[in-house]
Amino acid sequence: MATIITVTSGKGGVGKTTTSASIASGLAMRGYKTAVIDFDVGLRNLDLIMGCERRVVYDFVNVIQGDANLHQALIKDKHADNLFVLPASQTRDKDALTEEGVENVLKELAHQGFDYIVCDSPAGIEHGAIMALTFADQAIVVTNPEVSSVRDSDRILGILQSKSRRAIEGREPVKEHLLVTRYSPKRAAEGEMLTYTDIQELLRIPLLGVIPESEAVLHASNQGIPAIHQKGTPVADAYTDAIGRFLGEEHPLRFVDYEKPGLIKRLFGGK
Amino acid sequence: MPRRREPRPAPALELKTTRFAGIQVILNSAEYAVLNTHITTLFAATPDFFGGEAAVFECGRLPADAASPDWAWLAQELRSRGLNPFAVQNASPALAASAVQAGLLVLNDAAPAGATVEARPEPEAEAEVEAPAEPSPEIPARTPTRVIDKPLRSGQRVYAAGGDIVVLAAVNPGAEVIADGSIHVYAPLKGRALAGARGDTSARIFTTHLEAELVSIAGVYRTFDTALDVALARKPAQIRLADASQIIIEPL
Repeated sequence: MATIITVTSGKGGVGKTTTSASIASGLAMRGYKTAVIDFDVGLRNLDLIMGCERRVVYDFVNVIQGDANLHQALIKDKHADNLFVLPASQTRDKDALTEEGVENVLKELAHQGFDYIVCDSPAGIEHGAIMALTFADQAIVVTNPEVSSVRDSDRILGILQSKSRRAIEGREPVKEHLLVTRYSPKRAAEGEMLTYTDIQELLRIPLLGVIPESEAVLHASNQGIPAIHQKGTPVADAYTDAIGRFLGEEHPLRFVDYEKPGLIKRLFGGK
Repeated sequence: MPRRREPRPAPALELKTTRFAGIQVILNSAEYAVLNTHITTLFAATPDFFGGEAAVFECGRLPADAASPDWAWLAQELRSRGLNPFAVQNASPALAASAVQAGLLVLNDAAPAGATVEARPEPEAEAEVEAPAEPSPEIPARTPTRVIDKPLRSGQRVYAAGGDIVVLAAVNPGAEVIADGSIHVYAPLKGRALAGARGDTSARIFTTHLEAELVSIAGVYRTFDTALDVALARKPAQIRLADASQIIIEPL
């Protein structure tokens, strides 16, 4: 049975695609056969973040419309075995995603023995985002520590609870996870940002992880290597912890506390 | 859908009378264009207002010689907006015949809706666990209090027609709780709360944590653009109406 994970947020620019790439890579590195699908038809980005943009021949919409089969469209990831990317179309719009078509592709992936299917949702609450969450078994809600992002996440949680197939059919609800990204412990401590506990108190769903704000993410995007592969960086460690928690392991939160730099540190620099 | 369940093992099928509560969809026109325009504008701002309530088409106001509306289309339009029409009432024989053709029932005035509906399954099971709103008939014996035990999120709206509502989880910013009676929120109230939605000036709002965006009683509202008094903000509070025109907020 394939588990469908939707990475969503409502708001744009919070790190959905970065998270989709790292979560999918992390699951694949744990040995699970994983597919990651870009639902952002018309504004495709996932292929860039995954570094496979030059290998895109067929895309998600081609498969939905029967112009190509899944096997032709899936791109094998260079950095992780067991990982395949299904890119979005750049030239179509979101209306090309039909519910029936999406369902068929997901079923076909499940049939091919994928353990996890990660759906990278577009921003907003329109058709593309709805299609990305309709078939979700689990949802990772990506939220930045600022009020507008938190409110949009709240809205998307409400939509998950009313528009997902699980909700409509009255099955066990979609399992929700909160992932706080672009977190700066220093700014949170100084009251410039919401703290992760503030966010959790408002959204009231289990915390999957806190990803610190870091230049490593930009660096990773530019290189086309998912951030989880940037070994030794806090971002990669935080995503690795999140994967562990997703799989039911216990990991203490890291990179969330701010310690005022001591004299030595201030004298000798270091960030 | 029995409202109460017997503790003892019950027979597979039981028949009981019930006062059935639903929404009346009063037709003043049978013309497709008129209905289509009106439905679109009526629901434009609040597409999720209804949550699967049953509905009956009331045909008494249609002219005697009115052509039949497109029942199947009409029913589908309402279903897509959370109303489940299942019957017509006060219909002329011609209207009734066309309604039956479209799969609707015909309720006649002699037999109250209850008996007919009781034997049928409800049109749709609610996806949510909580009971659907109980819209009030003309003479409500007592409308059960609606209880919500999950957080209400931005963009979500619940309406307790004809009665009170109790919310046991947070009402988040951008969410809306509406009741014809009083509203009780035993958690942070950060969204909007509108009590006495049909003009009951005795309705009140209670919360254990007042941080609302807007409160309203019987149409008299107050926003919180200016910060609340420290004695009230994020504290237990009661909101009521004085002299039918002034919102009073008091600590509890």
